[in-house]
Amino acid sequence: MASSGSETAALLDMVAQQTTPLALAHEQTLPVLPVLEGLLPGGALRRGSTVEIHGIGATSLALALAAQPSAAGSWTALVGVPSIGLMAAAEAGLSLNRLFVVRPPTPGSWSDVVASLVGSVDVIVVAGGHRAGSGDLRRLTARLRERGSVLIRVGEAPWSSSSFKATSGNGADVHMRIVSSKWEGLGDGHGVLHRRRVEVRADGRGASARPRSVKLFLPGSNGAPEPVELASVAQLLVS
Amino acid sequence: MDDPVRTLVAWCPDWPVVAMGRSLDQPVAVVASNRVVAASRAARMAGVTRGQRRRAAQAACADLEVLPRDESIEARCFEPVLASLDDLTPRIEVVRPGTCAFAVRGPSRYFGGDAAVVEGVVQRMAEVVGNRTDVRVGVADGPFAAGLAARLADPVKLVEAGRVAGFLSPMSVTVLERPDLCDVLIRLGVTTLGTFAELPASSVIARFGSAGVEAHRLAAGLDPYPPVARSLDPDWSVSTEIDPPANRVDRVAFCARGLADELHGRLAAEGVACVRVAIEAETEHGEVLLRLWRHEGALSAAAVADRVRWQLDGWLNGSAVSRPSGGISRLALMPDEVIPATGRQLGFWGGETEADERAARVAARLQGQLGIDSVMVPELRGGRETNQQVELVSAATVELRGRSIQPESNESAPWPGGLPVPSPARVPVDPVAAELLDGDGQPVIVSGRGAASGRPARLAVGGRSAEVEAWAGPWPVDERWWDPGSHRRRARFQVLTADGSAHLLSLEGGRWWITATWD
Repeated sequence: MASSGSETAALLDMVAQQTTPLALAHEQTLPVLPVLEGLLPGGALRRGSTVEIHGIGATSLALALAAQPSAAGSWTALVGVPSIGLMAAAEAGLSLNRLFVVRPPTPGSWSDVVASLVGSVDVIVVAGGHRAGSGDLRRLTARLRERGSVLIRVGEAPWSSSSFKATSGNGADVHMRIVSSKWEGLGDGHGVLHRRRVEVRADGRGASARPRSVKLFLPGSNGAPEPVELASVAQLLVS
Repeated sequence: MDDPVRTLVAWCPDWPVVAMGRSLDQPVAVVASNRVVAASRAARMAGVTRGQRRRAAQAACADLEVLPRDESIEARCFEPVLASLDDLTPRIEVVRPGTCAFAVRGPSRYFGGDAAVVEGVVQRMAEVVGNRTDVRVGVADGPFAAGLAARLADPVKLVEAGRVAGFLSPMSVTVLERPDLCDVLIRLGVTTLGTFAELPASSVIARFGSAGVEAHRLAAGLDPYPPVARSLDPDWSVSTEIDPPANRVDRVAFCARGLADELHGRLAAEGVACVRVAIEAETEHGEVLLRLWRHEGALSAAAVADRVRWQLDGWLNGSAVSRPSGGISRLALMPDEVIPATGRQLGFWGGETEADERAARVAARLQGQLGIDSVMVPELRGGRETNQQVELVSAATVELRGRSIQPESNESAPWPGGLPVPSPARVPVDPVAAELLDGDGQPVIVSGRGAASGRPARLAVGGRSAEVEAWAGPWPVDERWWDPGSHRRRARFQVLTADGSAHLLSLEGGRWWITATWD
């Protein structure tokens, strides 16, 4: 190449700029359903983050969060939550083709099992109430950040006698809470559960520190989450 | 090399049923992934066919005994049959448990003709198999034609050398066992192997690719893979010393797993895949057991490890006469027949196939650490209860890569008495005992005619209770009333309590249960 040194340097700079990755590894995200985009900074689940979900309807919300990555080809693992209804998972949009149900041999070994799954499975759902030492949890979160899986912890089902230990001290990146829920369709001796209008509030730390809130039907009339606004617009049009 | 090797295939029909220790006169079906893989003679007479869904098989034959498939038992029971042939030829190849093959040229020269060898095979196998099932033997040029000859044998079918194309040509293309290809061929009007073989090879490769060429060569009575110029490099074999010698199958299987991975890596680096592997185990006293295993597709590392386990299971746990006198001290895997690996094309930048690959690896690792039932995957079943619609099976029993369990359209028809969507998000493994009380604090009961005794007012679970806000029911279910053993009668309610949780309650035998919760 018969060009001067400075030109070469400028060319190299240009090449370097063009080949710089637009997103760094830890900024990579997993998509979520459009109705849930308002709950998360950037409208997506950041890889390597942890999400905690409390309140009545937490299981449905966890399944709804995992639905879009699963539909896009990611694998999901349910660890130590044998009671999750897999038909509900399928209706929420999870692909049953790419789903593991993992049973840790003892409640204490769940963190080892999750550590093995991290990096191989994109979304890992665990039940709340599982406890682990703070050292184990620190190692686990570090591994999550490094390998880019998302961990979702779900509050206990309401009938369980074991009290749910809020582990806010261990610091999930995003906290979600269902603050209100109202079922539609079931009457006094008639009707059938049709859909549930919920309000979800999310806060957390870092980019998720600003509280966000979303209203949606969870589950909607066909089992998948539905936006409230569209439904009401449709009702207006009908009436 | 273009001429297929003259091969003898010996086949014990219905082996999966026989290996389970059932008589073929009982109605028995062996089922894998909800499909019938083998059925006894009595079951077939009643209309059970291979590939049928379990429920359809049960509908065809009401007193059918359904057994899950266990390939390791099949292989273990087949080992004595193979051992009886060891003095005829040293290189017996197991196509699958119940079917074995060997090249017949050498033994025929020694014993004086194909007929003499066949007679020897039938006699020896019949001695071991006894009256559990019969033995069919076919001899033809190439394993494919010999396998078909064995299927048509009664009990022996010899296809003369060089006459294999004539033998194959009247057969239906479905015997190729390539459903996608056959479907297209039949719609094109190509129904027999003869007409398929007449198509020019260049047109077949243009339209059907390399898989089509394999089938085309088979149909013409040729070796399925075109001759490859390279000779087999003996260095591809891998072996390991086991010290101290292992007496237990699981220890050897553990070594086999690592060895199979190593072999696989080495072959992959050369761009080839193994369709036939020789597994050789040697004991500390110098006894050697060699078996060849064949697979229609290429053998994956997991498939090789499985076959090592089956083979050793049969040897180490066999009859006292054939059992080795010491522990296994050396294990070798030798790829015996390789083909160029067409492989799977991974998606650009990873993608779906890579995700499947990683998932399959982690499942195998966790199952190694925690036991085979620790990682489960769902399979769809029919049923009106939420816990019946999906069944969990061990991830080891299914192919995780590119998995597809969506039901066929005719199978997704609604179940009478099923629950409407949305389905409950929580289905406890064991139902939770509860109390449903009416306004007077009396338990709500449902009469024989399906009428509730009062309006549900309170739901009590384990000492806590909540006001009932809305409810619907009872929805009675009376299942399998014709069978006293599995008869279930219950009434279901949907109940929404004041704290906002919705439950599916079930009244059975006078007691209330929470069977699911919409969480």
